[in-house]
Amino acid sequence: MATKRRNIFLYLTIACFIGIIAIFIFDGYLGIYDTLKVTAGEREETIEPDFWVRERWVWSVGVNWEEKVIFSYEVDNRQFSSYSADVEVSVWRSQEKILDLLSQSLEVAAFDEEKIDWVLDTGEFKPEEVTPEQRYEYTVLIKRGEVERRIILYMNPYIYKVPAPPR
Amino acid sequence: MKFEYVLYGFGILLCLSGIGYLAAEYVKYLSEAGRLVSLLLTVGMFAFLGKYFESLGW
Repeated sequence: MATKRRNIFLYLTIACFIGIIAIFIFDGYLGIYDTLKVTAGEREETIEPDFWVRERWVWSVGVNWEEKVIFSYEVDNRQFSSYSADVEVSVWRSQEKILDLLSQSLEVAAFDEEKIDWVLDTGEFKPEEVTPEQRYEYTVLIKRGEVERRIILYMNPYIYKVPAPPR
Repeated sequence: MKFEYVLYGFGILLCLSGIGYLAAEYVKYLSEAGRLVSLLLTVGMFAFLGKYFESLGW
């Protein structure tokens, strides 16, 4: 009887251990995870999947005018079934869409990854009169089905090209 | 020391190392409910393990 009771504690310990492993696998590992890489200038910044869990955080990238920004969006499907969604990328300012960058469907097989790359040319939406006194910010909105990812583009102050004085 | 106690020790160390690794890699992706249940299961695991060794007479 004592042996039986003792073994019950051991079985419960093992059951708790298996439960912890199962939670880490089914809640922590399985699912859809996306990683975004943004290259502006000489720096590449990687936004890991866990960043989007912290909803109060905003990812901001400093960019110069007339500079190209390279985006690489990778979707990792850690599920037993395939995943498909429509991906739309657009540029917004003050709640107004100013540029459509990308619209395509994405299909990822089970336990596989797919990557979408695109380039944003800041010269395409540069206002006619840009002054260094005014601060410009744009939002790059990535929509993957019902999921939205936002990147803030902070435009570095525009430098006037002052002509050399006449000699 | 009995050989089986050494095996016990190894087994427990390896299990805890495995849980530690999983925690370091995937706890940031867990939902709030998942984290709470994991915490409760961890407490339960150590509690039942303690009761088991107590019943052994340690």
